[in-house]
Amino acid sequence: MTDGARHPIVSLRDVEKFYGSYHALRGISMDIGEGEFFSLLGPSGCGKTTLLRTIAGFEEVSSGHVLLDGQNMDGVAPNRRPTNMVFQSYAIFPHLSVAENVGFGLRRSGLAGDEKARAVDEALAMVGLAGYGARSAQALSGGQRQRVALARALILKPRVLLLDEPLSALDKKMREQMQSELRRLQRHVGITFILVTHDQEEALIMSDRIAVMFEGEIAQLATPQELYRRPVSREVADFIGVMNFLPAEIRMGSGTAVEADIAGLGPAAIDSAQCPGALRPGRAEVGLRPETMTILPEGAPGEGHVAQGVVAEQSYYGDMTYYVVRLDGVDQTVTLSMKNRIGRAVLEPGMPARVSWDPRALLVFSG
Amino acid sequence: MKGRGLFFYAGIYLLFLYAPIILLPIFAFNDSTIIAFPLSGFTTGWFAELATIDALHDAVRNSLFIAVLTAIFSTLLGLCAARAATRYRFPARGGLMTLIMTPLVLPEIIVAVSLLVVMVQLLDLRLSSWTVIAAHTLICTPFCIAILNSSFQNLDASLEEAAIDLGESRFSTFRLVTLPLVMPGIIAALLISFTISLDEFIIAFFLTGSEPTLPVYIWGLLRFPQRLPAVMALGTILVALSILLLIVAEYFRRRGVARAGKEDSGGFL
Repeated sequence: MTDGARHPIVSLRDVEKFYGSYHALRGISMDIGEGEFFSLLGPSGCGKTTLLRTIAGFEEVSSGHVLLDGQNMDGVAPNRRPTNMVFQSYAIFPHLSVAENVGFGLRRSGLAGDEKARAVDEALAMVGLAGYGARSAQALSGGQRQRVALARALILKPRVLLLDEPLSALDKKMREQMQSELRRLQRHVGITFILVTHDQEEALIMSDRIAVMFEGEIAQLATPQELYRRPVSREVADFIGVMNFLPAEIRMGSGTAVEADIAGLGPAAIDSAQCPGALRPGRAEVGLRPETMTILPEGAPGEGHVAQGVVAEQSYYGDMTYYVVRLDGVDQTVTLSMKNRIGRAVLEPGMPARVSWDPRALLVFSG
Repeated sequence: MKGRGLFFYAGIYLLFLYAPIILLPIFAFNDSTIIAFPLSGFTTGWFAELATIDALHDAVRNSLFIAVLTAIFSTLLGLCAARAATRYRFPARGGLMTLIMTPLVLPEIIVAVSLLVVMVQLLDLRLSSWTVIAAHTLICTPFCIAILNSSFQNLDASLEEAAIDLGESRFSTFRLVTLPLVMPGIIAALLISFTISLDEFIIAFFLTGSEPTLPVYIWGLLRFPQRLPAVMALGTILVALSILLLIVAEYFRRRGVARAGKEDSGGFL
């Protein structure tokens, strides 16, 4: 899948990487567009960092090619590539000041001293650290180090900025703040950002497109919305957000009519667009997102699809409440989320719950 | 009380450790040729006598020459080995490092005798300061590797990658990032190997030719009882210098740890 609207700045062609007998990258091919905020998302050990380092030039491909702006990068050293990297540890030079860190890459630029100083000031202002130049790099907090690392990489105006889990060392509040700042910064400079992360929420929030990687392969490459709504496999569906999986029996009716008989929920009509693979009769699993289900208030008329159950667990998040409901008649629970509104009571474990669900939200994964 | 017993033990231990060394300055300033209590009076005469012994000056010059070159050679070798051991994966890396580090625990007398045999019998070299330098480099290099290994391990590998990523070559990265950050380790290695070489006796005794090093010269002096107080004065100076060097080395090691932004996990002192 290529983002046709954009000129591809990074092109990967059948990239393979072996460490001895370990197959770290398996036939990766994709294009990343100019000005795109692109994420490589996957669990640890899936090869996302290896892929990023391959683009940077720190790892050589075993076979295949990395093209940057149409140029084949075979055998091109990292210092000759139009990429810059923000390292997971930030890699701030501890023996240099903030300004010396940020201006490090300008040593070979041929700029005069005052031009360099101006560029450093501009870069620091861009990341919100104006006036920090004279400080020792060691006196900075985690969030400030992160910004220095960004300024140091962006000052060289790379075609592609590579970010290796840049937010994983920050606390939650700081991380959320940096997420929106990074997004804003990326729109401002218009440089392609490639972010490596294991945090699916972070990837969804920040990215134009996301490549989900499992075991050295790209499982799905899609926009955040596509990825969340139309995961191509059970693994992707399970990795992105919360998904309830329930066993079901698929029955083909006459014409295009298909029915799923779902354990604990009952029968529902579905159409083939709800199944990423080929729809086959027989045993399957259906997926339902927590927010597509609601618990009906007591005495409310139950229209459409309603299942009866008992609240097993409750987690109160302030704005939301997550419930685990044990469905009557089967050994099966579903997790669902409810917005907390004025006048809506928070249910406690042990209370009965009528769960309303929407068959249009179902995803079918054939075994 | 249990704690008091342990304190007593620690006190006795320290007394055995340092009492002989404390005796050095006491007798160095004692106005008598006989090394015995009671003390007879204060004098700085023995220090003045040191200034008049030409053979002693030659020995000092010799020892300094050997120690400086040993420090440089073993630190350079240690730098290469430590960098390779911490940054690269190569076959038999563990085994090789063990072999390189072994002189650390080998009895010096064995090293001395075998080197004497090799240099004189097999290589037919004339014994000189250079044979001592070669041997001292052999025994000092493991110490340098041990010090520099920890410097390189404290150094985040992504710092070097960041410099390369920002356009520097491997060599300029080494000069701009690696070297400044391991410099405290290098200085510590220089000082430690300098100190070891300066007061090493057994190897120097076997391998010096006609120009003795300071420890060998001091050993020679012991045959003349009237020289004993002067030896005490010389010893006092050497102890003071050694302590000074160790303090300087430790200062640089700690500064290195602080520079690399790491927790101090303990050093020599």
